[in-house]
Amino acid sequence: MLSDRPNKQAGEQVFSGMVQTVINPQDFTDLRARRQALDAYWQQDISGYALVRKHSDFIDHHLAESFEKNAPAGEGFALIALGGYGRQELYPFSDIDLMLLYDPAQKDELNSLVEAILYPLWDTGLEVGHAVRTLDECMVDATEDFFFRVAMLDARLIAGSRTLFDKLSEMYKALYIDGKRQEFLDDMLEQRAKRETRYGRHAYLLEPQIKESCGGFRDIQSMVWTAQVVFGLKGLAALQQAGILSLEELKKFEEAQDYLVRIRNRLHYVSGRKNDQLFFEHQEKMAEAFGFKNEREMLAVEHFMREVYTHMQTVSVTTDLFFEHVEEVLGSDEIPKAVKVLESGIEVRHGKIRLANTELIKSEPKLFMRLFYQSAKTGNPLHFRTRKAITANLHLVDDKLRHSRRSSKLFLAILVTPRPFRVLEEMLDTGFLTSYIPEFAEVESLAQHDVYHIFTVDRHLVQTVNELEKLREEESNIYAAVSAPHVLFLAGLLHDVGKGLGHGHAERGADLVRRISERMGLEKEDIDTLEFLVGNHLFLSNTALRRDLEDEEFLMRCATKIYSPEALAMLYLLTIADARATGPTVWNDWKGALLLELYLKIALLLDRKDLSGHEQARGTELGAQWIREKVAGLLPDANKTNFNLFSDDYLLSFPPEVIVQHIAHAKNLGKQDVLFFHEQSRESWSILVISKDRPGLLARIFGILALHNLNVLAAKIFTWADGTAVDAIEVSSAISETYDGQDWAVMENELHLAIKQRLGLEHRLSRKLAPLRGNPQGAKKRLAAKATIDNQASELYSVIEVFSEDRVGILYDITKTLSDFGINIYRARIGSKADQVVDVFYVLDYDGKKIEDPVFKNELQQGLLYAVSNA
Amino acid sequence: MKKIEAIIKPFKLDDVKEALNGIGIKGMTVSEVKGYGRQKGHKEIYRGAEYIVDFIPKAKMEIIVDANQVDEVIETICQAANTGKIGDGKIFVLPVEEVVRVRTGEKGKEAI
Repeated sequence: MLSDRPNKQAGEQVFSGMVQTVINPQDFTDLRARRQALDAYWQQDISGYALVRKHSDFIDHHLAESFEKNAPAGEGFALIALGGYGRQELYPFSDIDLMLLYDPAQKDELNSLVEAILYPLWDTGLEVGHAVRTLDECMVDATEDFFFRVAMLDARLIAGSRTLFDKLSEMYKALYIDGKRQEFLDDMLEQRAKRETRYGRHAYLLEPQIKESCGGFRDIQSMVWTAQVVFGLKGLAALQQAGILSLEELKKFEEAQDYLVRIRNRLHYVSGRKNDQLFFEHQEKMAEAFGFKNEREMLAVEHFMREVYTHMQTVSVTTDLFFEHVEEVLGSDEIPKAVKVLESGIEVRHGKIRLANTELIKSEPKLFMRLFYQSAKTGNPLHFRTRKAITANLHLVDDKLRHSRRSSKLFLAILVTPRPFRVLEEMLDTGFLTSYIPEFAEVESLAQHDVYHIFTVDRHLVQTVNELEKLREEESNIYAAVSAPHVLFLAGLLHDVGKGLGHGHAERGADLVRRISERMGLEKEDIDTLEFLVGNHLFLSNTALRRDLEDEEFLMRCATKIYSPEALAMLYLLTIADARATGPTVWNDWKGALLLELYLKIALLLDRKDLSGHEQARGTELGAQWIREKVAGLLPDANKTNFNLFSDDYLLSFPPEVIVQHIAHAKNLGKQDVLFFHEQSRESWSILVISKDRPGLLARIFGILALHNLNVLAAKIFTWADGTAVDAIEVSSAISETYDGQDWAVMENELHLAIKQRLGLEHRLSRKLAPLRGNPQGAKKRLAAKATIDNQASELYSVIEVFSEDRVGILYDITKTLSDFGINIYRARIGSKADQVVDVFYVLDYDGKKIEDPVFKNELQQGLLYAVSNA
Repeated sequence: MKKIEAIIKPFKLDDVKEALNGIGIKGMTVSEVKGYGRQKGHKEIYRGAEYIVDFIPKAKMEIIVDANQVDEVIETICQAANTGKIGDGKIFVLPVEEVVRVRTGEKGKEAI
């Protein structure tokens, strides 16, 4: 029926004004050749709006002909295009939304006309959305259906009665537009909010939905519709003439719009169906179609996606600003609330921070940062006009401002407010962040073509700050060690700033942050930490997955690299925040468990030096204070307890409930000389010995344990300031893992005797261990033994470290030797890993001094080596 | 045909994968799992906070091979995954009734 259509001229004469583009009949001959025709246009470089317009014209042309041939004469019918087709925007696989409006008097003719029009469309496989309505039905449906109401805004007559169509337009306007501005806006905002929940706040997801995502077509249409209904402005140009968009905004917006149209056009082709989501698998093909080429540092697809994100960002920001404007205009009959002046030039009104006068910023560039600071401090967002003023004046953000101490102080202050994320997002959206930190430009809208990164790099960085914000509460224990939060948050914001420059982004980033933080005038110490954090932000996650976490020596190297507990805490929090801000597939419990294990292992090693360096001492202090408060809360008679007895490291080594137990037990020390407790936990026992400290106490305890076939797995040895020794020792049976024949009563009795010096430990042990000594393998392993005495690691104590192979009784030999030299052990950490022992003792000599005398030092070292080697 | 399931320490995954490639094993399924055996979980106390690690993260690999390859695969995994310490893992061997390649419908050895 369509193949024998009358010539084109006739069609155009009848519907002049509706078919504007002359379609060259040579390009195609049939409705079925529609796609080839469109493809030919694309090849001829006709794309964007021109192409969707051609498509719409093409369909118009066919429909008009078919209507003309089949409709009865008169004013009974009008064929109307709605929605996207009404706007003359028809994408390759878009639905063709049609409505046949009819006069009820002509009902009899209806069926045959509908069939004549729709069948050919169906036959070609076009998706047709069709409806047949009378004027009254239109009004009823419009009342009930929001989408129909909105689709009507774009209604366009294709063929038939102009009178009927005009009547519809009038009724619609009278019922749904005049005086309905607020209702319309409310509906529009509600739909917008729904889309946001469904498709996410950002266009920066891995696979953006060109139509529904933030910054997609729906945003554009909502703006155009709302402008039409609320202000009676038709089209973008009208918005600019009315002063709602600046000329520059209009230009950028139109550019973005045209780009999105081109994408959607091509996307329908590439996916071969009506698909508006830029799926991962289409992105490369799309990049190619848009003429991008792979370059040395960047893939074609990454170039392409960067353009997509940049344009969607433009749409998103512009429409956000527009809707705030509309809301304000419509809400202006509300009772104006009082303006509160926050500081000279900046005020808050209706919960929005704004410039008292947008011109002010031109003469006072310091206001840029002051505005964001006030926003962060008060928790109020910036007013849209102020945001526009910021964007319009970014050229004033110059080197002077970037070097200004005042501004950088405010910037850092923003980072440590409770919710810096929202403010940084505003900084990014207005473009201020990139103007203030030009290094950020390299990562702006930068996409990473893999399945892990769902955000562009700039969004990921801001998102990392968001995660740090949450971790501050979730991991408050670890966060307590961070004394310079501004450094942590700055590291979060900048850790990937080296991306976009090629491989090795962490090292490149470290160089960049040094430059940035020097420019901001940070303290040298902070700059070093920042550089360290950015340069090593992948270290923990790489290590946790790829290295043996039992490898003591490797852990030692980690601890040396990550010089302080505070640096470790920051790196740990940054690692988690980074992973969580990357995408849902990157972070899980499994990785979390590995990372935590690594963290704890390094933390324990670092803690051995935790009295050195004032930074660390501070973190320790904060943690200890927290425990002190907890313990005080748990004690029934807290005011009778002298908390000065307990050192910080003691408090930090046990849970508060356990410390409370220690205090309760110690009350019995008057009645008994030695208190002994044991408790089974899984395959080991926890032993607790509380006693008045005395020379050789530890040696005797270890001696008894060896005598009773118990291996020391770990020990925490502390002495309270009143001389109460609290020794918590983890032991396991040397006989077998599950041995349960341990005679605790006999052991406790012997412990009492030994401590009272009534038991000959030396000869008993010697007899017991004799068969075990002289092991021929011993000679080889003995070479590994090492003893060091360090006076730098701790302010108060000499720290003795003994490395040796493990064997029964070795701790007795070490502690006995120390005791023989008159050395007092104040604290010890015993760790045996596999067959290696690393024991650390915090000690003072007989006179309560550090072991400084080089001769004595050497003597002691030799003595210890002899003790551990003398098998 | 047999299915070999190996539970190993996560950091050994790359080593084991390479070793298996070396003996001509081209395909495997790998997953992140948690569990405990003799290594049990443990409790860490750091700065007053308790961290309980009851299930330990491990990597699980599943490999389907012809029955005559089983010994070689087991030996290769053992060698590559061994650290000599507790928690090195376990290997299970299970019978497999049938293998089908979805794309072509091939069955048995051809489909591995």
